Amino acid sequence: MNPIPMEQSLMVAAMLFSLGLIGLLVRRNVIFMLISIEIMLNAAGLAFVVAGSHWQAADGQVMFLFIITMAAAEVAIGLALVLRLQSDLPTLDVDAMDQLKGGDDA
Amino acid sequence: MNTTDLIALSPLLIVGLSAVAILLLISLRRNHRAVATLALGGLALAMASIPQAAAVAPHHIAPLMMADGYALFYSALLLAASFVVGLLSFDYLEQRGEQREEYYVLLLLATLGGLVLVGANHFVSLFLGLEILSVAIYVMVAYARSSPLAAETGIKYLILAGTSSAFMVFGMALVYAQTGTLEFGPMAAQLMQMEDFGLALPGMAMMLVGVGFKLAVVPFHMWTPEVYQGAPVPVTAFVATVSKGAMFALLLRFFAAFEADEAQPIMNILGLLAIASMLAGNLLALLEDNVKRLLAYSSIAHLGYVLVAFLAESSFGDEAVTFYLVAYFISTLAAFGVISVLSDGKSEADRMEDFRGLYWRRPMLATLMTAALLSLAGIPLTTGFVAKFAVVAAGVKAALWVPVFALALGSAIGLYYYLRLVVVMLSPVNPTDDSNSEATATDDAMSTRAPNPAILRPKKVPIGPAFALSILAIFLLGLGVLPTPLMDFIKSSVSELR
Amino acid sequence: MTLLLLIAIPLCGGFLAWLLGRFHADAPRWISLAALGVGFILALDLGLEHWGAAGLANDNLWLLEYSHAWIPRFGISFHLALDGLNLLMVVLTFLIGILAVGCSWKEISTRVGFFHFNLMWVLAGVVGVFLAIDLFLFYFFWELMLVPMYFLIGIWGHEKRIRAALKFFIFTQASGLLLLLAIVALAFSHQSTSGVLSYNYMELLGTPLSEAAGMWMMLGFFIAFAVKLPVVPLHTWLPDAHTEAPTAGSVILAALMLKTGAYGLIRFVVPLFPDAAMAFAPIAMTLGVIGILYGAILAFAQTDLKRLVAYTSVSHLGFVLLGVFAWNELALQGVVMQMICHSFSTGALFVLVGALYERTHTRDLSRLSGLWAVAPKMGAMAMFFAMASLGLPGLGNFLAEILVLAGAYPVSIPLTALATVGLIFATIYSVRLVSRAFHGVNEGSWEFSDLSLREAAVLGVMVVGLIWLGLYPQPVLDAAAPTLSHLLSVMQR
Repeated sequence: MNPIPMEQSLMVAAMLFSLGLIGLLVRRNVIFMLISIEIMLNAAGLAFVVAGSHWQAADGQVMFLFIITMAAAEVAIGLALVLRLQSDLPTLDVDAMDQLKGGDDA
Repeated sequence: MNTTDLIALSPLLIVGLSAVAILLLISLRRNHRAVATLALGGLALAMASIPQAAAVAPHHIAPLMMADGYALFYSALLLAASFVVGLLSFDYLEQRGEQREEYYVLLLLATLGGLVLVGANHFVSLFLGLEILSVAIYVMVAYARSSPLAAETGIKYLILAGTSSAFMVFGMALVYAQTGTLEFGPMAAQLMQMEDFGLALPGMAMMLVGVGFKLAVVPFHMWTPEVYQGAPVPVTAFVATVSKGAMFALLLRFFAAFEADEAQPIMNILGLLAIASMLAGNLLALLEDNVKRLLAYSSIAHLGYVLVAFLAESSFGDEAVTFYLVAYFISTLAAFGVISVLSDGKSEADRMEDFRGLYWRRPMLATLMTAALLSLAGIPLTTGFVAKFAVVAAGVKAALWVPVFALALGSAIGLYYYLRLVVVMLSPVNPTDDSNSEATATDDAMSTRAPNPAILRPKKVPIGPAFALSILAIFLLGLGVLPTPLMDFIKSSVSELR
Repeated sequence: MTLLLLIAIPLCGGFLAWLLGRFHADAPRWISLAALGVGFILALDLGLEHWGAAGLANDNLWLLEYSHAWIPRFGISFHLALDGLNLLMVVLTFLIGILAVGCSWKEISTRVGFFHFNLMWVLAGVVGVFLAIDLFLFYFFWELMLVPMYFLIGIWGHEKRIRAALKFFIFTQASGLLLLLAIVALAFSHQSTSGVLSYNYMELLGTPLSEAAGMWMMLGFFIAFAVKLPVVPLHTWLPDAHTEAPTAGSVILAALMLKTGAYGLIRFVVPLFPDAAMAFAPIAMTLGVIGILYGAILAFAQTDLKRLVAYTSVSHLGFVLLGVFAWNELALQGVVMQMICHSFSTGALFVLVGALYERTHTRDLSRLSGLWAVAPKMGAMAMFFAMASLGLPGLGNFLAEILVLAGAYPVSIPLTALATVGLIFATIYSVRLVSRAFHGVNEGSWEFSDLSLREAAVLGVMVVGLIWLGLYPQPVLDAAAPTLSHLLSVMQR
């Protein structure tokens, strides 16, 4: 079996990461922003797995497990906050969240 | 895991177990006082266990952690800061009728994350520590559920912190792809044998995004004013100190493993970040009327100062970094402590207006606030002065002229806003009391708004914060006059690093 | 140990004044007066003890020394030392301090305790600056005196006090940071050649430096002292600070704080960086002469009395700069004399303006006229100090300026000639001050009481001082002589 070269797999991971980043910058909806972060984290996970297989070591996979665990925790909190936010504001548009500006009217 | 490992890790274990114990206690019975006592007791016990851990130091808990003098020194610093935050939090939460008990679980977990970070010697422990710290802080930032700002602050912090974590992890993956190891020491050894860093260079640059975000250096500073303003005051104090201090400790350990000129491109980037932070932080603070936001910008500048000593890349510089962080912890905690004590159940005393004439109504608090601000500004008789001197000395010794001049310029600008707050505290309570026309340095628009009523009704400072603030005051001035014992202690702790 | 006491007395006195100020408004005044009196006697006693043989013939430069390790990690020690030069300055500090407390007895009625706390801490800082011989300690005191001065101006000052206080603080602090950089750089240069990290002045003397490094460090020191002195392009904080400060603040600023800049130039700039200073001397002397002329012309143009006096300071201290960079015995003697005499003459003018303001609530020269008839004692005093300021022979200032000019003459004839023109301008503004305010018809129909006994006593001390310095300056010159000859010898090495 021909292993896929590390550089190419890393390129895929980098593309995934960039897509996530673009999504984060373009989307204004909190849920989609959380999804974008998730994609970025998973891109990093993929990169770890690729690098791990290149070095023939389990390190990359171990790291990947940690990454998904952490991503789950982060999203759990993120969604809880989204629920809270939903009851305060009728929208999930981050641009509508502007209470934290300047000292005066806050 | 043998007994020595357990002893070396005892501070972490105690903090972790306390968090679990609190969870159990809450499930049995909600009692704010008992929970707070348990949390503070846990922190104190963890601190008390540090001498035992030091007896077996330096001890390498293969492969993840390093329990050396350096890690233990920073552990003690973080635990002390968390203890102060805990004391401040109790009275802050007591005034707010919410679910208070879980807060202490988060506080302990975040502290645990910090402790893992300062001992981290491996990418896995770095990542774990960072995330335990961050995830706990997401919730702490949004903890004041009655505050309309809470959820917004929380989600903003979460999105930005999540992004920076993603950058950091991706960077780690690239470094790992290049070196094949996750441990700091072998990694540095590996990289130094290579012709060039290859993938590791973009990897380290991406990791810097994550680090820069946690430290809130320009251009990753955008979250700082908003989170400082939106989070409850004790949490702000925690974010300003423990979270940044732990990250800096890690940064120092990571780069101490490299030879000076090997990591030069990364150092150049950090140098630029430092200069930008010192100038932008101080300039942006000039425009602020909200004290918490003002301190946020000032903290951006302060991290820039610390970076100058970091860039010196010498044990002299390491000592300066550590001393500066200690001074920064003390001054920042004192300043936020005063804000916390002045706040009441409904609102926080974070507007300039809330501080008007404080000196004539609450002289002790105002004096402490003044001392804290002067320490941040680096005026003699305070810790900040000696710390700034140490940083300048380290910078000059390493001939870092540009950053050092930026530091001088930044400090001079910084004086303006620290003094502005001091002047407001010295102004008469009611602007019309003053026979002279110009009451304050601040614009007229401000004087039309009434000060926070809580401030006009002086209440007694509760015992917990009073204790915390007195200890801080003693250190604030004591270390400014007699820094030598601490300096020697830092020297012996940090010496193992390089 | 006595040296430590000289600093500790005002520090503790200040604290005590603050604490007891809560109980009675007069308590801080008396405590300050007592503490400064004790300090003055202590300093004077030291002086009389050493005035004779010990200080003059001794090889050891210092009459007294106190040293204690402070931050050994950086080679910093708590090192104080006394020689003739700083002895003079310390005695002067305590004397002016007493007068400052005296002149603000009635003027300050709010937050008296805190006022005296700040006053005493400024004085402690000034004494520390004069006595410190460890450069870090020097910088420590240099910064320490700023904060209380900031409060003095910012709380008890006049209308635009906050702006003036901020300007004062930022100017001095920013230049102070340059001083810090230069000090640290010098210490490390010294370490690289000798292997010892030290901030001790005596060890740092004669550190070999490359031409460029020496120039940069010298400029760091020079700018810090030039801001304090003040030297013309850096003087803009001074008129504001003087004008807005309460009387005691103005007196301390003019009589003491500006002298710390002059002291720094003599003690540090030239001896530590002889080559760079000599290369820089023509520029510095030119700046001095510009200061003399510019200050005098602007003083003439002012209508605010306090601003007028402030600009005369700029003019008089131009002579100090000229003298220091001429760097010969005559000029330096003149500089020392000028430092002391200017303290008395300008300090007294500020006291007078303050007294006038307390009575008339104006400092506007165009509104004041014919006051001699109302307050003859005040008029006589104003006349006397104006004459001192213009350099009437027989008074100290005359001697000081002549000595500086005589010293500067061999160095640069054109600059000396221009500086002499400054003396003529001084005559014009001094005469204008007296003739506008006190002569002529009392158009404003002013009615007020003449100088009180307290005010007369304060001014009287200054009168006696100036006459004594003018007629018999030998003790002062003798006291400073060993130090000056030592400093001159450093240059020749």
